Amino acid sequence: MSETRQTADDGQTTTDSEPDGVSAGTDQPLEVTSGETRERTRDAWVEHEFEGDAKLSVSDLDVYYGDDHALKGVSMEIPENSVTALIGPSGCGKSTFLRCLNRMNDRIKAASIDGSVRLEGEEIYQEGVNLVELRKRVGMVFQSPNPFPKSIADNISYGPRKHGDLDTGLLANLLGRSDDDAVDELVERSLRQAALWDEVQDRLDDNALGLSGGQQQRLCIARALATDPEVLLMDEPASALDPIATSKIEDLVHDLAEDYTVVIVTHNMQQAARISDQTAVFLTGGELVEYGDTDQVFEDPQSQRVEDYISGKFG
Amino acid sequence: MAGATESTLVSEDTTETEAVAAGAVGLAAVLFALSLAAMFELVTITDPIAGVPMVALLGGLLVLLGLAVVGFGVGSRLGYVATDPRPTAGLVASGAFALVWFVVGGLVASQTLGLGTAGWVVASLVTGGAAFAMSALPREDIGSTLPAGALAAFAGIVFLTGVIGPSWVWDLGWEQQASFNAEFTIPVLTGFCSLLVGWAAAKAYGGFGARGRHIGAYVLVYLNALSIIAVLFLLVAFTVLKGLPGLFNGLAFGAGAGPEVTLVGVTFSLPLSWPFVMNGVALLNDVNGVLPAIAGTIWLVIGAVLFAVPLGVGAAVFITEYADRGRFTQVVEVATNGLWSTPSIVFGLFGLAFLVPRLGNQKSLLAGMLTLGFMLLPLVVITSRESMLAVPDEYRDASAALGVTKWQTIRSIVLPAALPGIVTGIILGVGRIAGETAPILLTMSGSVAPPGSQTVDVVGGFQFSLAPPFVTNPELMRATSALPYQLYSLITAGVGQSSNIGAIDEFRWATALILLVVVLGFYAIGIATRYYFRSKLQHE
Repeated sequence: MSETRQTADDGQTTTDSEPDGVSAGTDQPLEVTSGETRERTRDAWVEHEFEGDAKLSVSDLDVYYGDDHALKGVSMEIPENSVTALIGPSGCGKSTFLRCLNRMNDRIKAASIDGSVRLEGEEIYQEGVNLVELRKRVGMVFQSPNPFPKSIADNISYGPRKHGDLDTGLLANLLGRSDDDAVDELVERSLRQAALWDEVQDRLDDNALGLSGGQQQRLCIARALATDPEVLLMDEPASALDPIATSKIEDLVHDLAEDYTVVIVTHNMQQAARISDQTAVFLTGGELVEYGDTDQVFEDPQSQRVEDYISGKFG
Repeated sequence: MAGATESTLVSEDTTETEAVAAGAVGLAAVLFALSLAAMFELVTITDPIAGVPMVALLGGLLVLLGLAVVGFGVGSRLGYVATDPRPTAGLVASGAFALVWFVVGGLVASQTLGLGTAGWVVASLVTGGAAFAMSALPREDIGSTLPAGALAAFAGIVFLTGVIGPSWVWDLGWEQQASFNAEFTIPVLTGFCSLLVGWAAAKAYGGFGARGRHIGAYVLVYLNALSIIAVLFLLVAFTVLKGLPGLFNGLAFGAGAGPEVTLVGVTFSLPLSWPFVMNGVALLNDVNGVLPAIAGTIWLVIGAVLFAVPLGVGAAVFITEYADRGRFTQVVEVATNGLWSTPSIVFGLFGLAFLVPRLGNQKSLLAGMLTLGFMLLPLVVITSRESMLAVPDEYRDASAALGVTKWQTIRSIVLPAALPGIVTGIILGVGRIAGETAPILLTMSGSVAPPGSQTVDVVGGFQFSLAPPFVTNPELMRATSALPYQLYSLITAGVGQSSNIGAIDEFRWATALILLVVVLGFYAIGIATRYYFRSKLQHE
């Protein structure tokens, strides 16, 4: 089992893989990808100063999949109405971190989570949290486009209809209480936000599976926006798409940051540099190594390992 | 071109030899079709075709094909035909040929020549061994054509010389007086030999080697698939042809021709009189019919489906979506699979011993519905579970990420996506239960040939009262008939011979045809439903 120790003198955090094998004075973690420089992570590297309030604050988050320690003592604050990119090599825990923010990891039976995640100061890992409400406020878009096998309009209105916010059922229709107009409005607004309206406005009743991959992914974004979330989590939303579709998604993310807090996982470092305001770098072993302003992280990283990773020496 | 082993990248135009080989394949296919036709007695083996008796025609064709195939092999070996053969025909082909010739040698020695046990064993070993050596040792072109061609030619000569003629009977000499006659033996031998030479000719057409083997296998698989479809088609056609005369007895059109019916208080005469499906069996009927049995079968299936589908789908939802995968779900799985393979007579006995005493203590439609529902249940569970497991987890994740609860996800996403599979399961199950005889015999059968007045009328049978139980339906509690049961008792028990059903044979076949139509009708409804749900899930 690994553990995180706070050394009293300099406030540095050392992460070891084995408690007895390496003493507190040894500053080299054992688990490194070949080609990685060995170094100690420092608390200062993950401190990111920003103006305004933190939308999400994570502190000391540990995630285990069975015996596997997937995320080690991650703490970070995510500012409101901005784009935060999470980058790092495969298996570094960035997707796991993302799925902790709306408790999607609850759906994995082997996962156990320890630590604290606060949404606007409210702890989401406590008794009595309403997962429906949480996931309405923290929406998610997945790696591969996964529209439901329903019509485009039904995909968009699915969330609000199931939440009971909109009612288009037979009974509502009979009683004259149907929200058909509100649904049409919602569909148009969400599709416009996701920059898909112009392409699909003539075929809203067609099956969503008939759209191209890029359109499907924007439909998924529109579907997530339809529940009016505050935070939008995106798990490599463009990794399965061609360059043109990718650039559309990137533009969209950029626009969305005006009204939403976007947290996006990506494999593509150029993409992170292009679209994000701040960047968090996770490295092998599930630790957050550096977090800060995107320009600073990419141009002047404090960690040698991060610099090596960004310049393509490993990972 | 002696021993041509090099192959060209681009083959020339169709050569004469290829054309002849293709002709041989086609002739083999025709021969196979002829043998099938003879097997189902569409043609009789004694009938002359163009002045030649059928047997002689089959024999002559076999000899011709056998010689042609052998000719190809020898021609290829001597280098007259450009081919690309392997060094040997392979162990599987050799083993198959050895087995075939082993049997042929044994049969000829023991049955035709009348040798004893030692004699036929030696003869079998000699012919089998020779066939094995003939196909395994020489090059592929000889190895795969010679044993096949020789067999076809041998069978042809046997037919031509009349050793196996139309009046030939092979008495097995058993206690039970079993024998094979020529009407069966000749088509079987012809079919088998035509497959064998067809395969060899197809190989020759492909020039042996990898391409030849591919074409040989293709021809075999194709002919087999065709013959399966042909058997199915023949079965349906046979039933239809036999059933039609009885089915349309006394059919009449025209205003007021049919019986009077009352719908929503209005009484009128149907413009169609179809006695076989509108009458029961009664003394004064001009033409007797099976209306009570038709109504019984339809209501049985509807009742069983209404009972089993909600229960089965609900159980499947629980074990796939809610229960943790573990010992419990395994036990449920084993139990449902076991239940599905339980013989129907056991279900029938259960219905008789458990349901009947509790439901009015008499055989009834309701007991039959429930018994068949129990039979249908496991298949509905199994197929619903399979199709729910096939719904991608991405849908569930996406729905959960939108903050939708599990039950709503199941109802709005999982079940609609699984519906085509569930409907497929119901179709298969209905196909089984609609034709069941044993459970009906034990739980709901009334008189064998009920009169039309005993037709169950479940819809009209509801009675409402102000006192509990408020709604009753005596029709459900009545013993009635169903098509498979009626057919069974008409055939085996000989019932009806004595009663006033006139042409009993016509009546039986017409009943069989109606049963087929009813079951296929349920199939059609199921397939249309599945098509509808599937088209809703897919684009275009």
